[in-house]
Amino acid sequence: MKVQHILKAATYAALSVAAAACLAPVYWMIRTSLMPTNGLLSPALWPAHPAWSNFVAAWRAQPFLLYLWNSVFTNGAIVVLQVITSSLAAYALVFIPLRGKRWLFFAVLVAMMVPMQATFVPVYTMLSAVHLINTYGALILPYAGSAFGIFLMRQGFLTLPRDIVDAARVDGASEWWILTRIVLPNNKPTIVTLVLLNFVYHYNSLFWPLVATNTTNMRVVPVALSYFLTQDAGQTLQWNDAMAFDIFAVAPVVILFLIGQRYFIQGVAQTAVKG
Amino acid sequence: MAKAAEAVIAQVEAKRSTRRRRMSLQMTGVAMMAPALFFLMAFVFVPMGCAVYLSLYQSTLYTPKPVFAGLANYAHLFSAPDFWQAAANTVWLAVGMMALSLPAALLLAVLLNQRIRGRAVFRAAIFGPYVIPLVSSGLIFSLLFATDGGPVNLALQHLGLSPVNWLGQARTALLSVLILTAWQFTGYYAIIFLAGLQSVPSSLVEACQVDGGGRWQVFRHVTLRALGPSLFFAVVICLIQTFQTFDQVYVMTGGGPDGATTTFAYYIFEKGFQAFNIGESSAASVVLILVLACLSYLQMRASRRWVVEES
Repeated sequence: MKVQHILKAATYAALSVAAAACLAPVYWMIRTSLMPTNGLLSPALWPAHPAWSNFVAAWRAQPFLLYLWNSVFTNGAIVVLQVITSSLAAYALVFIPLRGKRWLFFAVLVAMMVPMQATFVPVYTMLSAVHLINTYGALILPYAGSAFGIFLMRQGFLTLPRDIVDAARVDGASEWWILTRIVLPNNKPTIVTLVLLNFVYHYNSLFWPLVATNTTNMRVVPVALSYFLTQDAGQTLQWNDAMAFDIFAVAPVVILFLIGQRYFIQGVAQTAVKG
Repeated sequence: MAKAAEAVIAQVEAKRSTRRRRMSLQMTGVAMMAPALFFLMAFVFVPMGCAVYLSLYQSTLYTPKPVFAGLANYAHLFSAPDFWQAAANTVWLAVGMMALSLPAALLLAVLLNQRIRGRAVFRAAIFGPYVIPLVSSGLIFSLLFATDGGPVNLALQHLGLSPVNWLGQARTALLSVLILTAWQFTGYYAIIFLAGLQSVPSSLVEACQVDGGGRWQVFRHVTLRALGPSLFFAVVICLIQTFQTFDQVYVMTGGGPDGATTTFAYYIFEKGFQAFNIGESSAASVVLILVLACLSYLQMRASRRWVVEES
């Protein structure tokens, strides 16, 4: 009995330490965002007089709403396109006896592991040939098809009993009808997972938008953040303003995470335990 | 006679119609694959082929006519110290993640798998860093490791030690990047392990306990063995993610000081997008793709073996 109590206490202690370690940087971000500029070198754990005006200053320093709109619009479009292309492809892979299916699925797995960092020069050249660089098109099109999306949707579709689909077919239902009336409604959690995971993934990623855009008005949130640190602020970077701006940037994904926590965690777990 | 002929005709008709139906099903399938395949072709496979092609030519974005160079770009790459430095940094990061992040994640998963109060809250707090943009956390950690006024140095000074220029020194800069990366991803791996733990059949655990196995024995003989696939998956994903490390390096150190934090992906970016040396950048891309392909192949083979074992 005693040993069990000690173990339980140790479990709580260890988990608390880990949770604290995960939250501490976020806490320091909030704390610094409220520090007055003349108190930035102080070791105080919380500002005596929180300087809310830092948020106003950060808001005025950069057109954050424009960056947020760029991010939300392009990533929203990416996710919508991915749900469409991925569910169509996954349906074909699962429910249609396609010839060469194994090769198609293999191709999907290969595509999943190739990062943009390895292909960005040809992609950039191609898009600039059709004058799409520095447009929303350049940010959206390269991600309209998603190997990960196909993979995730396929996992979801595989759990649906085949008999239902076959029965509908015998009744003369078209494949489109089966997909939109039976398969998709039965895979809502998978769709939500895909939408949330990939929206956050693309909202967060810096690399491709950094390469594909070059004017201020086309910046997405991560690009704007990186400029805040590297160039615009330069030597006179004020940590309090930077952290206030950082809070604006983080807020959308944190809110999404708090709302759809279950889907995030299930989505990650699902990709690991696969058949 | 007429009847028999009719029957034959009907049979042929039926066969033809099922064949036609099967054909049209095939066509539908192809049509459904088409959109996804088109985009994957255009933005993954064709660029991959282009990268191989470009890696054989000497070219910059501004040279009108690339010159065929054979394997010269690769030869140049493999004799360049900064390429090997980037490779070494990446491997160092990967080893660091495996030594630091994965064991911590495993421990957290085991703890989260207990029956405790507030489990969902702990789980959310621990997984949370994963959803924060790497650029944002890079910015936060730049502050944490700031020479003047950064909390890490404030703590050191409080203890009477001298402050450290964390991001400005070769030795500590990569360590700082590692610490940020571990902070970001440990919760993610913990969730992967947790999913693995929850797939451990409770009957096996009970059987082991009946045989007189204590906690440690159950963990070693049942849990760890059942965790095999997740462990392997996490190691491979960890390697793949490390080889793609870019955002945090770009924000925190810009690859410096003196290339001390330049990773594989960052090297490709620098060569291609800042030095405009397309040939060498593409050669490095091809090497990266090959490395990742080997890792994915290993992962696929392993997962297939485990699946067969399970059934």
